[in-house]
Amino acid sequence: MSIFQKNNSDIKISELQYQVAVYEDETAYKSLFFCLFPSLQNFAFSISRSRVLSEEIASDLLLDVWTRRKKLLEIENLKLYLFVGAKHAALRKLKQENRYSRFSLDDVEVEFISEYINPDVSAELHELQEKIAKAVKQLPPSCQLIYKLAKEDRLKYKEIAQLLDLSVKTIDHQLSIALKKISSALHYPNPKKNDC
Amino acid sequence: MTNDRIWILLARQLSGEASLTELAELEQLKNSSPNTQKSVEEVGDWWSHNEVPDTEFLEATYLAHLERMKDKGFYLNEGETKLEQEIPAEDNPLSANDFRNNFKVKRIVVSAIVVATLALSWFFLKPEKNPTVVAASSKPAEVSTRNGTRSKILLPDGTNVWLNSGSKITYNKDIDTNVVREVYLTGEAFFDVVKNPKRPFIIHTANMDVKVLGTRFNVKAYAEDKTSETSLIKGSVEVYLKNDPGRKYLLKPNQKLVLSNNLSAQAAKAAASVALQVGTANPVEIKPLTYLGGSETDVESSWTKNLLSFEDEAFIEVAKKLERWYDVSFVFKNKTWEQQFLNGSFEKESLEQALKALQYSTGFNYKIEGKTIFIF
Repeated sequence: MSIFQKNNSDIKISELQYQVAVYEDETAYKSLFFCLFPSLQNFAFSISRSRVLSEEIASDLLLDVWTRRKKLLEIENLKLYLFVGAKHAALRKLKQENRYSRFSLDDVEVEFISEYINPDVSAELHELQEKIAKAVKQLPPSCQLIYKLAKEDRLKYKEIAQLLDLSVKTIDHQLSIALKKISSALHYPNPKKNDC
Repeated sequence: MTNDRIWILLARQLSGEASLTELAELEQLKNSSPNTQKSVEEVGDWWSHNEVPDTEFLEATYLAHLERMKDKGFYLNEGETKLEQEIPAEDNPLSANDFRNNFKVKRIVVSAIVVATLALSWFFLKPEKNPTVVAASSKPAEVSTRNGTRSKILLPDGTNVWLNSGSKITYNKDIDTNVVREVYLTGEAFFDVVKNPKRPFIIHTANMDVKVLGTRFNVKAYAEDKTSETSLIKGSVEVYLKNDPGRKYLLKPNQKLVLSNNLSAQAAKAAASVALQVGTANPVEIKPLTYLGGSETDVESSWTKNLLSFEDEAFIEVAKKLERWYDVSFVFKNKTWEQQFLNGSFEKESLEQALKALQYSTGFNYKIEGKTIFIF
């Protein structure tokens, strides 16, 4: 079931990419923006920890998609390409501001789309979401980021590994830890501090 | 250990990374412990629960984004982009990034090699001619099929073409080196075009031109048929009508454009203005493809799988398909049968078997005399 979900979103992006590249289709461009902006902004925020900067970075990347649309088909994996672009842009901004000299996964701050977009869900679901959010927040930052990239952004293990300079094995392991913690949060009211 | 194994497998399953063996193993682990099964399923439900995107927020963000683009000289939503300028390197977030630069360098090297190879091969292969002479001297190739036969062709650029009965396709032999790949078609053909964004592929027919970069689609343009059709399976295509070349029709997968043949220029223009409205009288229509009884086979391209199929088509139109498929001709002694709607799908059936099946569902009578079939 989940296999199809993932493929669908990837097919959708490449389909839109094609429409923009070949037909300069503005509606397709808008859909591409809707698909990718929140993910890119969240990811740029994780590194830059600045809302203003991260919005600028995501907007710049998507602006580039339009201005370079004629060469768009040369990019094989547009989503990953833009994520990598977001990473480099965020690191560059950090360097400019002399805030960090080195990118460390322990310094990331992870925001989830689900954190601020749920105005009218059922009380039951809301409670569940809070429980899970709490459990996720107790994971180490790098583990949170991996979980976020896999669940919300639907990146593949290989893509996450490439993006974060980690091995696929690490992704495999970290994700299983995240799921185990979430599961225990659902059964025990106060999850223990973890050792992920 | 087994306890951790189940979470590794679940993560793989949810991310779409699990192999079939791993999925089976996960099922087995779940079944062996009802407690774990429950928690595993809860987490799975949570994972597939997707947040509904906040469209209002996104709309607002998109507007802000368009404003930023405008400031940099790129106008969207106002027709064409007014300024085709590149962003200055300083402002470009990607310009300083190694990933992209590496990518670019590789690309340049690759294109340089391609150019050099092309130049060299031209030099050695055609030393005595200049390029224009080469183009002019290459005679077009022609492939045609008689009624009752179909064939499959591989064009020099790698594009696969299935040619239906009673059809003809013409192309230049240097199609692979031309800037635009062009073919001329009468009749019906299914194309699986090799993707090449730099060299569009154009199919010219009597009433319409179809332009694509790489995709799978069917073009039906028999002179004797009431309509011409372009049906898209995958990718996207542009269709231009000969009578109204200024307008382009974009097709999405699973759509077809149906054009009434023998349109006057004026009729086509009038048609274009109402083309996308719903109605049966329009000379130009965009419709969804028809699928055979809930299967994945669409009627439009089913002939490439050796299926002769039709759904809710008038007998007179079906007769034309049967004539081409079986190389026969139909004569309607009783004209009322001409408008009888028919459904059918035939694979290995002989003409007689097909006629019997259709007769069974509708009640017409037929007589076969040589290659002529009389309907009464």
